[in-house]
Amino acid sequence: MKKYICNICGFVYDEATGHPDTGIAPGTEWKDVPSDWVCPLCGAPKEDFKEKAVKVATVAPASSVQDDSTDDLRELSNGEVSALFSNLSKGCEKQYLEEAADLFGQLSSYYKSKTMPSEEKYFDDLLALIEADLNSSYLTGNEIAESFADRGSLRALAWGEKVTLMLNSLINRYKLEKDSLTENTNIYVCDICGFVFIGDEAPDICPVCKVPKIKLTKVQRGQQNARS
Amino acid sequence: MHAVRNIKLCTKDCLCLYVCPTGATDTETGQIDALKCLDGCRACVDACPSHAISLVPDEYPPQQIKSTAVKNSLLALSESKAKQEAIAEEILKSTENPAIQQLAKAISASNKLMIEDLLREAGYMLPQSQNVKDFIQTLLDTSQPEDFPKEATERLLELLSKNLSMEENKMSNNKTLDNLMAAFTGESEANRRYLAYSRKAKKDGNKNAAKLFKAASDAETIHALKHFEVANKVGTTHDNLLDAIAGETHEYKEMYPEFLEIAETEGNDEAIRTFTYAMKAEEVHARLYKEALENVDDIEEVFYYLCPLCGNIEKVRPDKCALCGLPGDKFIKY
Repeated sequence: MKKYICNICGFVYDEATGHPDTGIAPGTEWKDVPSDWVCPLCGAPKEDFKEKAVKVATVAPASSVQDDSTDDLRELSNGEVSALFSNLSKGCEKQYLEEAADLFGQLSSYYKSKTMPSEEKYFDDLLALIEADLNSSYLTGNEIAESFADRGSLRALAWGEKVTLMLNSLINRYKLEKDSLTENTNIYVCDICGFVFIGDEAPDICPVCKVPKIKLTKVQRGQQNARS
Repeated sequence: MHAVRNIKLCTKDCLCLYVCPTGATDTETGQIDALKCLDGCRACVDACPSHAISLVPDEYPPQQIKSTAVKNSLLALSESKAKQEAIAEEILKSTENPAIQQLAKAISASNKLMIEDLLREAGYMLPQSQNVKDFIQTLLDTSQPEDFPKEATERLLELLSKNLSMEENKMSNNKTLDNLMAAFTGESEANRRYLAYSRKAKKDGNKNAAKLFKAASDAETIHALKHFEVANKVGTTHDNLLDAIAGETHEYKEMYPEFLEIAETEGNDEAIRTFTYAMKAEEVHARLYKEALENVDDIEEVFYYLCPLCGNIEKVRPDKCALCGLPGDKFIKY
């Protein structure tokens, strides 16, 4: 009997015990689990599971990345500057610095208003960028952050990669299932890590960053109530 | 560190009102009055049954340094996420289908949060950090469109700078440091003066005046020590020993010899005696401070014996004081 682990939230499906709560009898082999079965914790589809490897001793990476890139950082796009400031605004809110939070908010809105509209506007354009993120940028990022033992960055990369995997599967599912994907159910976004969850009720904790339910915000249907 | 209340957690049990020594917790807005809150008091933090109150630092340590290679790899992702956010917004705008709009909003929000997190880790985590201030300064230093919120940006920079360099601001370009040191000198002198008055009153049998002088003398010590501390004059023990050596050496090599010469010219025998005792004792003090500096890391306990008559200090109780001849059993052990 084998075990399979969810790439997104780490939920483990054990063939020996099955998952009776979602109708999978003990002893059900992974290949016999229905293809529309989703992760009971985070809603990830079956294809986002992989076989749980037996732990082997890990070998320390031989290569180490030198910090020889002394070039200045590239200029941030207006969209990025807007996010940089909105995040600092949240940072001030946490410190109860209302005036500074408000000023950062003003700067964030200003840069948001200066963002150029995207010429690309299809789900497939999103999928192309997501694919590049998953197949290249996260791999490189993890390797570099690991070589500098930068735990904070590794944490951000781990969360971001899981959220991106989820977006990837959601967009692919939408392409197949169309509007029925979200019919009669809800979409929630985690305010902390950006995890997107489709389900009637938000999970008790975010499957990615583990914040309590109160931080998962319901996204309304239609154009109204766009999130700030 | 001052206290702040998380309104979402506050269950209005109001124990914070009972324990606050200054009334800072009792406000209409539910927030704690930072100006009244005592630095680091935390009485309300410990009393709050719903754990709604915490302490917020007034100053933060410098941010973790990020390597350029890590930053670049995080920025590569934030660039991609910013494009995805913009695409999701275009999808939202270009459809009438509420299901697509809902999904596009979720994707846009999700990407925005990921950009925020990536940039936070790329060195822009703490609002008051030098990185953030430099970034804002660059915006002010480069030419911006007319509608750029310049005043808001300048005000923001001012707020952030004030917050970080609070201590520096307090101590630079003002007379307060001079005044603190003048007050320290005055209070120190008053402390000794009242002690002398207290001894006199005691000798004369005026117990109450003696007590008051002694209490006031101790009060001036409290003031003097606080002024000295606020003036930021207490360094590491290593530095303090160096300072003490310099002070004692100046006294026994320069100050007292000069004073003695004048006292001799003027024929003031009592002054000659007290200056001589002090000069010799300061030389001993300087030597002891030097020894203490050399052995500053030793953990073995050392005892000191003080001559209550002339101020000589010995490391072993002597038969009699080497400076003034007082019997060794009168020495005070430290």
